[in-house]
Amino acid sequence: MKNVWFVLMLSSLIALAILSPEKTISALMKAGQDAVLLSIKLLGIYGVWLGVLGIVNKTGLAEKFASLLEPVIDFLFGKNLDKQTKSFIALNLSTNIFGIGNASTPIGIKAMQNLDKINNSEIASNSMIMLMVINATSLQLLPTTIIGLRATALSTNAGDIILPSIITTSITTLLGIILVKVLSKIKLQKNAIKNRKKLYFGGEKCK
Amino acid sequence: MQISVFIVPIFLILLLLHAKRKKVNAYVSFVEGAKSSIDLSKDIFPFLIAIFVAVNLFRESGLISCLSNFLSPVLKLFGIPHEICELILIRPFSGSASLAILENIFSQFGADSYVSRCASTIMGSSETVFYIATIYFSQTKAKRLLYAIPVALLCTFVGAVISCLVCKIM
Repeated sequence: MKNVWFVLMLSSLIALAILSPEKTISALMKAGQDAVLLSIKLLGIYGVWLGVLGIVNKTGLAEKFASLLEPVIDFLFGKNLDKQTKSFIALNLSTNIFGIGNASTPIGIKAMQNLDKINNSEIASNSMIMLMVINATSLQLLPTTIIGLRATALSTNAGDIILPSIITTSITTLLGIILVKVLSKIKLQKNAIKNRKKLYFGGEKCK
Repeated sequence: MQISVFIVPIFLILLLLHAKRKKVNAYVSFVEGAKSSIDLSKDIFPFLIAIFVAVNLFRESGLISCLSNFLSPVLKLFGIPHEICELILIRPFSGSASLAILENIFSQFGADSYVSRCASTIMGSSETVFYIATIYFSQTKAKRLLYAIPVALLCTFVGAVISCLVCKIM
C-alpha cells in the first residue's frame, strides 16, 4: 500500500507541476475536505451499525450466527479461531451479501483486528489476506445503489443488471478464494524449504 | 429488488424481540456499541485523508484520462469498450469518484445502452480494492500484505471482462 501511495502521489504531482501547477493546492484541499465530510458521514453510519452490533452481541445472536456459518468460516479461515472472531467474520460476510456494506466495514475492521492479534506479526496472515480479498471482490447480491441510479437515469429495466452482477460477483469471489488458497500453500511450502535448509545447515554447524 | 427493502426492518424487529425475550437491555447495548464508532472513525480518519489526497491528485492531474487513453487498446482486446476504461481505472480507488463517472456514462449514452449496462455490472460486482485494503489494515500491526492487493486487483479485472461478456450475451 505504501508503494502504491508513493507512486500515485509522485506521478500525479509531477504531471500537475508540468501541466497545471495552479490546480495543486485546490486539489489537495478538496481532498482533505472530502475526507472530513466522509468521515463525519461514516461516524454516523458506524454509530448506528455498531449500536445494532452491540445488541446482536449481547443477545448471543452473533455466536448462533457464527455456528450457522461455521463450515464456511472453517474452510476459509482455518479451524482454530475463537468464537468472537468467528462471529465477527460471519456478520461481516452476511451483511456484505445482503448489501449493507456500511455495516460490514466496521465489523470487518473488528474481525481484522482480532485476526491481527492472533497473527501478531508485521506480515499479514493467510486468514487476514482471505478476509480482505473476499471483501474486495464484492459479495453483494443486489447492487441496490446502482439499480437506484439506473432508475433515476430513466432506464426502462433498471434491474436487468442483477443477474449479470450475481454471475460476475460469484466468479470473482470464487477466483479470489482459490487464488488465496493456492498462494498460501505455495508460501507454506517455501517456508518449509527454508526451515529445512536452516535446520540442515544449523545441524552441520553444531557438529 | 422489492424483497431487499424488507431485510433491514424485519431483521431489526426480530432483533428487538429477541433481546426482549433474552432480557437484554437493548438500549444500553446499543449505546455501548455505538460508543466504539467514535474511536473507529478517529483512527480511520488519517488513512482516509491520505487516500483521498492521492486519488484526487491522480484525477486532477489528468493522469487518469491519459492512462485510460493509453490502456484502452489493451482493454479492447479483452472486450472492454473504451468508454469505460476510466471507470475501471478509478474503481479500485474511490467509490464516490467511480459513481460520478457512472452517472456521466448514463447521461452520455443512455441508461439502457450496452456501455451503460457494462458499466453498471462492473460497478455492481466490484469493490474499492485500495480503499478496503487501507481501511481494513489501518488498525493492524501487520503492514505487509503480500499478494492480497494483486489478487484482489486481478479479480476486479477478470470481473470487468466477465461483466462485458455477460452483458453482450444477455
